[in-house]
Order: sequence, then structure tokens, then C-alpha cells
Amino acid sequence: MYPFGKGIYRYVPFLLLLIPLLLYVVFYFGPSVLTVIYSFTDVKNVPGSSMSFVGLDNYRDVFFSGNSGERWRSIINTLIFMFIVTIVQNGVALFVAVLINQRLKGDYFYRAVFFLPVVLGVAVVALIWGMMFDPMSGPVNMLYEWLFGYKDMFFASFSHAFGYIIFVQIWMYMGYSMLIFLSGLQSVPKDLYEAGYIDGTNKWQSFRHITFPLIAPSFTVNMLLSIIGAMSTFDIILATTDGKFNTRTMAYDVYKETFRGSLEMGLPSALSVVQFLIILVFVIVALKQTRKREVEY
Amino acid sequence: MVKKISALLLTGALTLSLAACGGGNNGSNASTSEGTNSNTTKSSGEKKVVKILHWKQENINKAMKEINDAFEAANPDYKVEYSTTGPDDEYKQAQRARITANDVDIMADLSGMRLSPQDWTPGAKVPDWQQWIDSGLIADLSGQGFVKNWNANDIEKAGTYNGKVYAIPTGKVAMSGLFYNKQIFEDNGLKVPTTWTEFIQLNEDLKAKGITPIGVAGKDVWPLKLPVFALQAKILGGGDQQKWIEGVWKGETAYNDVEAVEVLDKMKTLQDNYMIDGFMGIDYASAPAIFATGKVAMLADGSWDAPTIATANPDLKFGYFPVPATEDAAKNASFVGKYDVTWYVAEKGPNKEGALKWMEFFSQPENYTKFVKAAGFIPTQDNISTDSEFIDKELTPYLGDFELAYEIMMINRTNVGEHLAAEGVHTEYLAPGGEFKTAQELADVQQKEWEAAAPK
Repeated sequence: MYPFGKGIYRYVPFLLLLIPLLLYVVFYFGPSVLTVIYSFTDVKNVPGSSMSFVGLDNYRDVFFSGNSGERWRSIINTLIFMFIVTIVQNGVALFVAVLINQRLKGDYFYRAVFFLPVVLGVAVVALIWGMMFDPMSGPVNMLYEWLFGYKDMFFASFSHAFGYIIFVQIWMYMGYSMLIFLSGLQSVPKDLYEAGYIDGTNKWQSFRHITFPLIAPSFTVNMLLSIIGAMSTFDIILATTDGKFNTRTMAYDVYKETFRGSLEMGLPSALSVVQFLIILVFVIVALKQTRKREVEY
Repeated sequence: MVKKISALLLTGALTLSLAACGGGNNGSNASTSEGTNSNTTKSSGEKKVVKILHWKQENINKAMKEINDAFEAANPDYKVEYSTTGPDDEYKQAQRARITANDVDIMADLSGMRLSPQDWTPGAKVPDWQQWIDSGLIADLSGQGFVKNWNANDIEKAGTYNGKVYAIPTGKVAMSGLFYNKQIFEDNGLKVPTTWTEFIQLNEDLKAKGITPIGVAGKDVWPLKLPVFALQAKILGGGDQQKWIEGVWKGETAYNDVEAVEVLDKMKTLQDNYMIDGFMGIDYASAPAIFATGKVAMLADGSWDAPTIATANPDLKFGYFPVPATEDAAKNASFVGKYDVTWYVAEKGPNKEGALKWMEFFSQPENYTKFVKAAGFIPTQDNISTDSEFIDKELTPYLGDFELAYEIMMINRTNVGEHLAAEGVHTEYLAPGGEFKTAQELADVQQKEWEAAAPK
């Protein structure tokens, strides 16, 4: 029972653990804690500049200054984005996963097709949909005109741009959720369905009472991943509208204030902290709700 | 229970680190976007490397490479490492990352010195360049011989801070003009308008002949600012923009006063009636092609795009005239613009001595001429012949009273709302694309946002 030997060698595993722990602290945890501290200061991204504590000034700038209306809209946009993406993406992914799991012909092909957008990456996806949604010569606008006699401005429309971004986000990550569901589905033992069949379940009942409880862990993972992912999304917004046309979210604001705003790091840090707290609340609620459903047979 | 708590902690840590990824870790993301484009490697033996940072702009990059090659040929001890990033915001990120890491010797800025807080702008943010100088990151060029090669007035306006020269502006560009298709004008017996009434009449004539008058890249939003710069410079403060800008800080003028509304209203007239259908869907890269193929008679764009238009259609005959903002033809007849590429030398860079040597080389009239010809700028050295018909015939006649544009002069309040952000008045918010039915509605919101952003 002493795989690393006795005496001083007992401590080897801890020493080895120290390496990833150190990396984690230096590159993940440390900066995160610093972000919280920075949010109470007027620190600048200039070497040799002074730094002093300014109390809650940065938070006041977030919620009670000239452009706080926009900040609130970013928060609301983030929540809309999170809810629609989480619900639709997981709903569609579960549906597609169940279909593919029927062992229909060419299931590998469909699996690959649905997963492809994940592999493409944000820049390519944004480019593809930028062309598809080109207001002047894009194929989607031609389709719209042919079907409804109407043309849209897509990513340059104040009222529709955000909706199109949500669509692209779901299109891009649906395959990822699908894959997690699929692996969950494939781990459900066949004999349970047989037992159910003998007891006279119909298809819906066997899905509702056998499949669903057993894939609950995949459901939890997917929920958390989409909630956290959706609430910290800024890349697809940056690549399609660049935050113009009412498409800013909190994560985009953090990015913009950090890298394009002034050299002051206090305000973006405060925004980060607010974003983190909101994400945390939703993750805790989601975790509690989904954990309840998990069962083990 | 323990399992539950640890799961919570883990998700907490995960989200926190995700949030941190989006923010706080001072520019570490930025450094990934550049560095890949450097055209040389460091393996140059004993040679002293001069690191130059610039943005991607094909015509200028090409000239820069030629100048760098010539510099290396003339100074065999030195090697130039010229790296470029994407333009605008991406470039700003790279600038910050490199200057704060002392990893650059010569750095271009997007314009000359501007937006420095004044005593009438309480609470205004200090611009990046000024913070860098104040923290001792930028070299003082005052004593250098090559400064004398440059036009003293331009150095004073765009390169001097606290009585010392810190930057070299390499050229000016006009922003407030319209490119026009000479063939279309000639075929329809039209001439360059000199007053607002003539301009509207010209647009009507073009429309009557079934020709779309004006193209603009609305999707990028900022090109909409360009014609507005002409309106602002000529209308605000009765033609004294500086007075109006000071006034708006002191409460003497306002974003919804008669002059400011006139600016928005005139732009609305153009947007509603004379700009190409769906202009909000045109991106900046495709705008020159729309003009060069004759789809529109005029294009709202900066003078720097003349080489691009000429490349898009070498047979096209085109000119450039200032948007005639008022009924006073004499007042209308000058451009509004800005200084473009402006060099700063890093004080704490790896090779300041080499950087000064490069600046000296660049400032020699024959080298500078190569640069300014390729860039299509209006020269900031005297007695430079650009051999450019476009500059000589289309720009020079309107350079007498060259003024700086609103976005260069306007010092914004911190945390000002989106309808005034980025030193613009954002006419994209006007109907039909935006929510404001009239210029007055937008103006009222702007004034409200301006007052809400007042320092507390």
C-alpha cells in the first residue's frame, strides 16, 4: 500500500501535485483574485504608474454613470443570450442525438456533419455566416426576397442582429452538446429497454422514464457548459457585429473596456467581477436543479 | 455533502477563471495577435535590431519594406524587424502590449497627438500617448537634427507636448470629401457643387437620370462620420469648431442647439434620399469597388482610399471635392482631415540609438518622398514633389484652410453614452436603420447623455 515507498518518498506524490497546483495558482487563480482587487483600484496598464484604492468608484461607474443604461442592456442581452442558447441548443442537440442513436444508416456521417461547425472555429464560422447574411448579395437575402419579398440587414440591423448572432452561436455549438448527449445515450444499458418493453412501455414512456433519468449527468454537463459558455461569449459578437447594432453583452464589454478602452483597468475588472457573480448565481441554481434529477440504477 | 461543496467550489473556480480570461490579465491576449508577421528573424548575428511596429496597409507596408531595405544597405550593422498587425483596435492592443513590455523601438500611432485634457475639460481621460510620455516611455526628439526636415507647423500641431517634440507626423489626409466619377458628371453636364443648395440639386439631377448619387460603407459605421466632419467643421460655432467644442463643456453650446441639429438634419437628408439603398449593409472593403464600377456617382470616403479606387478600376477618371456644408461657397472650399501615421520612438526600447538612426534616414527627403508617394498622404515636409495628379489637382486647391476633424478635436467625457461615444455623433441611429425619426430626437438624447456624463 505504499506505491511510492516509505519514509521521505511518501511525499513524492504531493511534490508532483505541486507543479500543476503552482501553474494553476499563477496563471488562473492568482489573476482571478487580482481582478477582484483591481476592481477597487485605479490601476493603469502603464508600467511605473501609481495605483491607489478608490473604494466602490468603479462599481459606481458601472451602474450609475452616463452610459449605465448601456451596461444594463448588456446584462439583459447576456441573460437573453444565455436562456435562448441554453434551451434551444440543448433541446435541438438532445433531439438530434436521439435520432442519431436510432442506429440509422450513415449515423457516423450525420454525427460528423453536426459536429463540423465546432471544429471550424469562430473566425471561420463568422466568415461563413457573414457571407450567407450579406445584405447586398448574400444567398439568404435572395431566399427572403423570393419567399417573402422582403430584405433584411442581418448583422447591420438594430433590431435583428442579436437574434442572428444567437442563431449562429447555436449552429456552432449544437454539435458539441449533441456529442455529449450521444455518449450519454450510448451508455444506457440495453436490457433496461428490454425490461421496459416486457412491461409494456411505449416509446415516449421509455424515453421519459428510462433514457432521461439515465442521461441526467450529460444533461447537467451540457446545461453548465452552455450557461457558462453563453454568458462569457464575446468572440462571435466581435467577429460578426463588433458590438455594434445593440449586440453588446457583458463579456464583450469586458473585452472592449480592457483592450480598447482607456488604459485604466479598474472599470473592466469591476465589470468582470459583476459578470462572474451573475454567472455564479445561475450556475448554482442550475446545478441544484439538475443534480436533483440524477439517479443511479 | 462534501461532494456537493467541492462541486460548487469547482464550478465557482471555473467560472471565475473564465471571467478572468475575459479581463484582468493585462494585455496577455493581445500579444498573441501580433509577432507572426515580422519579416525577419532575430538570427542576424552581431547586427543590432531595430524593432518597428505598424499596422497592415498594403501600399504603405510595401514602401516601408523598401525603405527598410535601403536603410539596412546603408547601415550594414543594423537589421530592421518590421512587424504589422491588423488595423485600428487590433493595432492599439499591440501598441499597448509592446510599449509596456519595452519590446519596440519605433511605433506608429493612428494619428498625431490629440485629445489631451485642457483646463476646460474637468475629468477628461488622459490619452494613451500622453500617459506613455508622462511615464517616460517615449523618447524626446527635440534636439535631433532630423526634426528640422519637417514642417514646423505640423510638428507643433501634431508632435509637440509640453514644448518638446515627441512625435513625427508623416502626412495629412482629407476626410470630408466625396470621390466623384468624372465620366458620369461629364455625360450628364454636371459640375462640382460649391454650396449646399447646388449639392442637393446635383443629387436630384442624378436621381432624375436614374443614377444613384452617393455610396458609403454604413456597415462599418465610421465612414458615415466622414461627410459629417465637413458639416461639423463648417456649421458648428458658425465655422469655429473649437469654440463650439469648448462651449459644450462650459454649457454655452449644446448637442441639441440649432447648429448641431442642422448637422444631423443635413446628414439625414443625404441618408434618406441620396445614399444607395441598403448602405448600412455595405462594408468598407467593398465600397471602392461599388464606386469604381460606376454603380454610384459619388463615394463618401477619405483621400487615403484614392490608390485603392485607382487599383479597382485603372481606367476610371475620378476627382474629390469637399462636401459643401453651407451656402457660403468660400467657406466650403477647404478640407477637414487629420494627421495619419505618426512615429514615436521608445525611450526604453532595446535599441533607441538605432531607432534614432532609422528616423534620421526616414526623414531624408528622398526616402520620405518614396513613403509619402506610396501612402497617398499630403506631405508634412516642405518642397516634396509627390508626382501625384490626384494630390496636385484634387487636394491641393482645397488645402488652404485645412482644419482638423471633429473626432481629432473633440475631447469626450468619460463614460459618455453610445450616441456620442468614440468622438462621433452616430447618424446610424437615425431612421430607417435606427430608432430616431428626426434629427431633433437624436440630438436631445445626445445632450441628455452629455449632461449625464458630467463629472460628479
